Amino acid sequence: MTTQELEQLLAQQPIALLHRLARGRVQRHFRAGKRRLIEILLRHSAENRAGFESDLMILIGERPPLPIPPAPQAPAARKPKPSTPQHRAIHRPAEQDSHEPAITLSSWLDGLGVPPPKPFVTDAWQEDAIAKLREGDVVVSVPTGSGKTYVAVEAARRAIAENRTVIYTSPLKALSNTKYTEFSKIFGADQVGILTGDRRDNGQAPLLIMTTEILRNLLYDAGGGEIDIRLDTLGLVILDESQYIADPERGVVWEETIIFCPGQARLLLLSASIGNPHDIAEWLTSIRPTPCHLVRHSTRTVPLRAGYLHPNGKLMPLFRTVGIPHGHPSHLHPEAKRLFTQYEDETLPTGRRR
Amino acid sequence: MPPSIHPVDLILALRDKHLTPAIVFLTSRRACDEAMQAFDHSQVLLPPIRQQAIAAVLEKVIVQYPSIAEHPLIPTVQRIGVAAHHAGHLPSWKIAVEELMRHGCLDAVFATTTLAAGVDFPARTVIITQSSIRKSRDFTDLTIGEVQQIAGRAGRRGKDLVGFAIVTPSPYIDLNVLTKGFTGHPEAINSQFLISYPMVLNLLKAHPLDQIQPILAKSFAQFQLNQRAEVLERKLDGLREQMEPFGPRVCTDWITEWQTFDQVRRQKSHRAPARKHEPPEITARFHFLTPGRVVGIGRSRGVVLRQYRSKGQKSPMITALRQGGGITESPASTVTEVSDRVLDCVDAPVYPWCTPESVEELLRHLEELPGRLPELPILIPKEDEPIPDAIVQTLGDFACPTCPSRSACQRDYPHASKLRQEQQRHLKSIQALRTSLWHRFQGKIDVLQEFGYLTPTAHLTDDGEWARLIRIDHSLLITELIRAEAFNGADPAMLAAVMSSIAHDDDRPGAFPRVSSGLGSLLGQVRKLALSLSPHEDPPLLRADIAAVTERWIGDPSLTWIGLCKSTTMAEGDIYRLLARTLEFLSQLHTLKATHPGLADTASRAIANLRRGVLEELP
Ligand SMILES: Nc1ncnc2c1ncn2[C@@H]1O[C@H](COP(=O)(O)OP(=O)(O)OP(=O)(O)O)[C@@H](O)[C@H]1O
Ligand SMILES: [Mg+2]
Repeated sequence: MTTQELEQLLAQQPIALLHRLARGRVQRHFRAGKRRLIEILLRHSAENRAGFESDLMILIGERPPLPIPPAPQAPAARKPKPSTPQHRAIHRPAEQDSHEPAITLSSWLDGLGVPPPKPFVTDAWQEDAIAKLREGDVVVSVPTGSGKTYVAVEAARRAIAENRTVIYTSPLKALSNTKYTEFSKIFGADQVGILTGDRRDNGQAPLLIMTTEILRNLLYDAGGGEIDIRLDTLGLVILDESQYIADPERGVVWEETIIFCPGQARLLLLSASIGNPHDIAEWLTSIRPTPCHLVRHSTRTVPLRAGYLHPNGKLMPLFRTVGIPHGHPSHLHPEAKRLFTQYEDETLPTGRRR
Repeated sequence: MPPSIHPVDLILALRDKHLTPAIVFLTSRRACDEAMQAFDHSQVLLPPIRQQAIAAVLEKVIVQYPSIAEHPLIPTVQRIGVAAHHAGHLPSWKIAVEELMRHGCLDAVFATTTLAAGVDFPARTVIITQSSIRKSRDFTDLTIGEVQQIAGRAGRRGKDLVGFAIVTPSPYIDLNVLTKGFTGHPEAINSQFLISYPMVLNLLKAHPLDQIQPILAKSFAQFQLNQRAEVLERKLDGLREQMEPFGPRVCTDWITEWQTFDQVRRQKSHRAPARKHEPPEITARFHFLTPGRVVGIGRSRGVVLRQYRSKGQKSPMITALRQGGGITESPASTVTEVSDRVLDCVDAPVYPWCTPESVEELLRHLEELPGRLPELPILIPKEDEPIPDAIVQTLGDFACPTCPSRSACQRDYPHASKLRQEQQRHLKSIQALRTSLWHRFQGKIDVLQEFGYLTPTAHLTDDGEWARLIRIDHSLLITELIRAEAFNGADPAMLAAVMSSIAHDDDRPGAFPRVSSGLGSLLGQVRKLALSLSPHEDPPLLRADIAAVTERWIGDPSLTWIGLCKSTTMAEGDIYRLLARTLEFLSQLHTLKATHPGLADTASRAIANLRRGVLEELP
């Protein structure tokens, strides 16, 4: 392959592939635009040309085939790509919908609007979570904006009615403050308190809001013999945004809190969608006195559509389908794809902007 | 073509298609502020009714948070119905923006992705302009979970039939990351179980040493380690089955027997064993001498610019940028220390192997590095151990040459020994997975014993009893400072200032007021102690300029918030966060009232001074 051929081949590749190729070769490659990235890659290829070319071919081979427009197949005439496994080209049933014509902007926008007012009806998963809390701990993992707060509020209401203390924690002070206002409106200001490092507003209230760190400290104090808050009447601990357990710096605080949470209190973990909520539930079951029930679903209550807005102000669907094609990241809308490729070609390295 | 859409055009396009209200996630605070400025010159105006609605909501918020009454952004927000929301703002201002958004008063909010989790308000549309996010000094691609968290803000229950997540490109965008994020399953999450000194002290306060291991076993960390161990155990079962045909033969452990015999045989046949001319530690190290690595060369320090092998001898070499600016070529064997620090450098294909800007940057970083750096633990593979002469001489004693199963052993040995090696590797890994938390815990115990917080039997000493109440980052430094009586005689302002320089972990530069001389020398003392503790705890930044901001606020109760903000280039939100973090640290010192009444009292006076104006508004 001549350098010129190599350059051409690189230029034909999507930028993501170039970034993958640059990994470990070029520092800070993600900052470079396509042109610049190609320039840098070419320079680097001089060091180990053979290795570079073979890596490139492997990456090209790995890529799923582009949706090919339905046309009479003439396999003999097609030049086989190096190291492309033949079976990848085989027509898969999932590819079917990509052969349908891509949707138009107007059908993509269709349905936009405000729903007619409806009486509040709880979702089945919300009922389920609240009911299961009677039997043991509960982990809820549902998409953003599903209505986890409702579960927290109802669970708290029931625990308070039984004269039990409820602790609600969030990872951020800002969220704690928002919830303090929100819960005060729901339960009445005298029923809700908030604890920070130096302040205790209404600390005798049955529903206490704090950050997870503050709760962890309370639990340590209890372990050390100084009972600070009414841990003996504690009936429910709600850990909101508990996907924070995977936070590199603070995640351990969630683990400590869960490990030292008194056995008589129920744990309610509210989390955004994560890949392994069953692991969390199984873990809780293995260390807590009652089995833990997992409530999960991944369908959004308000359906989501994805779009592409070109810098020139032109709006279009991002995918070929109205909804999001789960499992098919490559089902891009041809127009969006074309314009984005054009965008990548046109974004010149900084300093040479036209 | 502009590299990204102009904010005013963006909002107009969204309004045109009834896609507002929208949250526009931008790469930086500056981008958010610039977007707001872009509206200042535009003719986009809200109808009077909507302007009044905004004023009405703001009025209510101001009653609760008077500090934002004079906020400079209010007129813009009111005129155009668009606001910015990022960490540079005061919490009370962010609350105001959220409140406006909840009331449907705004068309758009420009926010930073860093705060996606903290943005607790939905919209009809979310605009995504980037595919990576700054995490501790470096950019990393958004995970699927993160993309879904961000996109998930679109579509309000009860207010929208559908939500829209719209990608608009900016120069650093990688569309694949986003399409994968939209269409994929969120990643599994993993435990991040850090064992800290306060954790060790608090556990040992409540439980005797022999109960600690069962407690650690209750962690999610151990749960996941066990899962991995179980996978390996299943593999072990498989290996055990495969090993069955290779059970005991004439000798019980024929594999070892044959191995020794075979090696001795070979060694005899090659009189001089092939000498590796390169010691294994050099080879092992050479892998890590990559561009940007900070190393010790002789008595000075340097940064590796490139590694190569010399032309003739093929010996491992590095080019390094040395303290003082020299660039030298040295054999890898002259490297005396490989630190765990790697500096950013943009490499270039010719001398000096990185860009001139990089050289400058590296030099600057090099000078700023602390005196001692943690060393990189490098595993040195053992050289094939030579067979002891005694065995060699006893070749005649081996039964193998005449053994009836000799040919079977010879045939099976390669396969059987590979299986057995694999078995042993798995066994070792399983062992490590089962005990690693405990070992890490013991490591911390050792340090706490060395410093006298724990007795040799791992009970809390008198110092340990109070030290366990300090449950924040850099706890060892803080408790050591207290033991060294560093704060004796410090006034509330000085104490708070030192705490804030320990708490602050942002290295963004800025212009700041100067410190008082008393504080300056106290900080010098703190820095010295922090460096001496660096093998056991990462030293904090200890910025004097940051300390000065806090010193002024606490030391001068007549100073207004505006006055404080004017004395530095720090953003309001950052000053607020700095003081809020300082408050947290001070309130931990306050818990030491039983053992250190003087210090606790100074801390509580500092807290009282700190909690005024804006800092009084929120709990
Ligand atoms: N059963 C329901 N029917 C209609 N609307 C609901 C229902 N449950 C909750 N909601 C509404 O859905 C919206 C989002 O709820 P909420 O804030 O609890 O979501 P969340 O799951 O906590 O999301 P996040 O991941 O952002 O924390 C709220 O406005 C709430 O009133
Ligand atoms: Mg929520």
